Amino acid sequence: MSQSRPSARSVGLVLLLLLLAAGILIVVVVQSGSRVSVGPQQTVQSINPKMGVHTRLTDEVEEWKVKRTLEMVREMGANWIVEFFPWAYVEPNRPGEGKWDHSDMVIRHAAAQGLKVIARLGYVPQWARPDDTTPLYLDEEHYADFGNYVYEFVQRYRDEVDTIVIWNEPNLSLEWGFRPVDPLAYTEMLRVAYTRAKEANPDVQVLGGALAPTLAPPGSEWGMDDLDFLQAMYDAGAAPYFDALAVHAYGGKFPPDEPAAPDAINFARTELVRDLMVANGDGDKPVFITEAGWNDHPRWTRAVRPAQRIEYTVRAYDKVLNEWPWAEVLAFWAFRYPASVRTYQDYFTFVTPDFQPKPIYEEVQRYSRGEELSGPGGSD
Amino acid sequence: MRVELKRKQWLLVVGGTVLLLALVLILWRTVALPRDHFWENIEQTGVWRVAMDPSFPPFESLDPEGRPVGYDVDLARAIAARWGVEASIEGVGFDGLVDAVWAGSVDTALSALPYQPQFSQNVAFSRPYFEAGLMLVAAPDRPELNSLDDLSGMRVAVEWGSEGDLQARALRRESPDVIILPQETAQQALQVVADGDADAALVDRISALQFPGSGQLRLVEEPIVSDPYVLVMPRKTPILQAQVDEALQALQEDGTLAALQARWFGGSQ
Repeated sequence: MSQSRPSARSVGLVLLLLLLAAGILIVVVVQSGSRVSVGPQQTVQSINPKMGVHTRLTDEVEEWKVKRTLEMVREMGANWIVEFFPWAYVEPNRPGEGKWDHSDMVIRHAAAQGLKVIARLGYVPQWARPDDTTPLYLDEEHYADFGNYVYEFVQRYRDEVDTIVIWNEPNLSLEWGFRPVDPLAYTEMLRVAYTRAKEANPDVQVLGGALAPTLAPPGSEWGMDDLDFLQAMYDAGAAPYFDALAVHAYGGKFPPDEPAAPDAINFARTELVRDLMVANGDGDKPVFITEAGWNDHPRWTRAVRPAQRIEYTVRAYDKVLNEWPWAEVLAFWAFRYPASVRTYQDYFTFVTPDFQPKPIYEEVQRYSRGEELSGPGGSD
Repeated sequence: MRVELKRKQWLLVVGGTVLLLALVLILWRTVALPRDHFWENIEQTGVWRVAMDPSFPPFESLDPEGRPVGYDVDLARAIAARWGVEASIEGVGFDGLVDAVWAGSVDTALSALPYQPQFSQNVAFSRPYFEAGLMLVAAPDRPELNSLDDLSGMRVAVEWGSEGDLQARALRRESPDVIILPQETAQQALQVVADGDADAALVDRISALQFPGSGQLRLVEEPIVSDPYVLVMPRKTPILQAQVDEALQALQEDGTLAALQARWFGGSQ
C-alpha cells in the first residue's frame, strides 16, 4: 500500500492557515495586554457630596494613567469631575467621523470609580472654521454642526453623563477665537446646543455661562465683565436655554470668606452671580462651580502661601456645603496635569504628574473623611 | 632658462591658489558664519536690554526712589561691566518675561527664572547661576544628616503644604518613624530646628539663606530637588549665549556670585 505524500499546494495552505492563526493570536495578546481592566464598581466615601475637581485627561494617552487619576480623585473624596471633551478630537476631519475611543475610555473609568461627570464641550475642528482661526473660533454658520456634536455626545453617554457645559469662558476674547466677545452670539450658540442636547436626552442638564471672573472695563479688547456678560445673556433671552449656570470662582489672594464686591475678583463673587440670577427670575436654578482655586506658586502675584491654600480650599468646600444651598458642586482647577508645565499653573494641582499626592491632596482627603487637618504647630 | 620658467609658473599657480583659498575663507566667514543681531546691537549701542519683574526681593525689587535693586540687578551690571556695556533694566511682569524674550523686545530676561525646558523651542537658556531648590537644613548637633535617607526616626520641620512637606510625607510612606512637624512658614520651620525642637528642616534654599539664624544651622549643599535659576535669551543668538555663559563662569570663578549671595542674603561668602 503506498502512502500518498501531501502536495505542495496543501502544505502551502496549512502554512498560510498557521500564519493567519499566529497573526490573530498576536493581535489578541497585544490588545489584551494594552487594555487596562476597569475593575470593580467603586463608590465615593465623603462627608461632602458637593466636592469636585476639574481633571485634565484630554491629553492623557495612557489608559492606566486615566484610571489612576480617577482612582485618586475618588480616594480624595471628590464625587464630581469636570472634564473636557473636545469636538475636534472626535470629528477631526469631517462631520460624524466619530473618534470616540478616548472619551469612551475616560467615561468608562469615571463610571467605575463612582464619579459623576460634568462634560465640557467645545474646541472646533478645522473643517468647521476658517483656516486662520484658532479652535476656539466658531461662527454662526457652524452652530448647527456643533449642535450635532452635542447631540451625538449626549446620546452616546445618556446613561453615564447627565450634565454638560456649553463652551468655556465666552466672555474672554481669547476663548472666543480672538474676536470681540458677543453675549448675543453666545446665547444663540447656547440655544442651538441646548435644543439638540434635549433632543438626545430630555433629562440632561445643560449648563451655560462658565464665565471667567474679570473686571474688564466696557469696550475692553480682552473681554467683558462676567456680571455684565451674564446680564446681556439674560437680555438676549438666554434663560430658557440653560438648566443651571456654570461659574468660575478663583480666590486670588483672598480667603473664601472675603466679602463679595463688584470691583473684586474673589471666591465670594459667586454670590453676585447668584444675585443676578435671582434678579432675572432664575433663582430656582442651581449654580455649578466648575472651576475654582487658589495657587501657591512662590512668586506669582495672585498666589498665596501653601498653608493658606490648604485652609482656603477646605473652607471653600465647607462653605459651599453649609452656606450655599443653591450651589450643587465645587470643582477645583486642576487635579493633575499629564506633564509638568513648569509655570505657576503647576501650583494649582493636587497631584504631581507622577501621581505623588501633594500635601493639599492629603488634607482635603482628611476633610472628606471628617478628620482634623494635620495643621501647623503639631506633629503629623 | 627653461627650468627657471617652469619654477616661476609653479610659484604663480601655488601662490594664486593660496590667495584664492584665503579669499574664499574670508568670504565664508563673513557670509556663512551665524549672525547674532542681538549681540551686534548690544555692541553697537553699548546697551544690554534686560527684563525683570522687580517684585521678588532680594533678587529684584524697587528701592524707595523707584530704582531696581537686588541680586539679579547686581548680576546684570556685573555681566555688562565685563562686556564694557550698560545694563538697561526694563520692567516686565513675571508672566510676560519669556514672551518678551521670544518677541525680541528685550535681549535677555534675568529675574530669578527657573529653567523651563518646555520653552526650549522658543528661547535659549544660560547655565545656572543660582540654586533655589529644596534643601536639607540640619541642626548643628546632627552632623550625620546629609540626605533624605538619613531622616529615618528624625523630627523633620516643614512649611505646611510646601514641596518640603510633600517630600517628607513621601519619605514617611517608606519610613513610618519619620516625625513631620508642619509649620505655617519656612522661617518657622527653620526656627524649630534652631530651637532644638526638630532635627532637620526641608525648605527651599532661598528661605534657608534668608533665615536670620542660618549661621546656627547646617545647610546641606546638595539639593533634594534642584530648581536652578537661569538667564533667558532669544534662540538665534549664539554669540550672546556664549558671552553670557562665559561671563557667568568667570563671575563664579572670581567669587562675584558668592559675594552677591553674601550681600543679598547675609552670611559669609
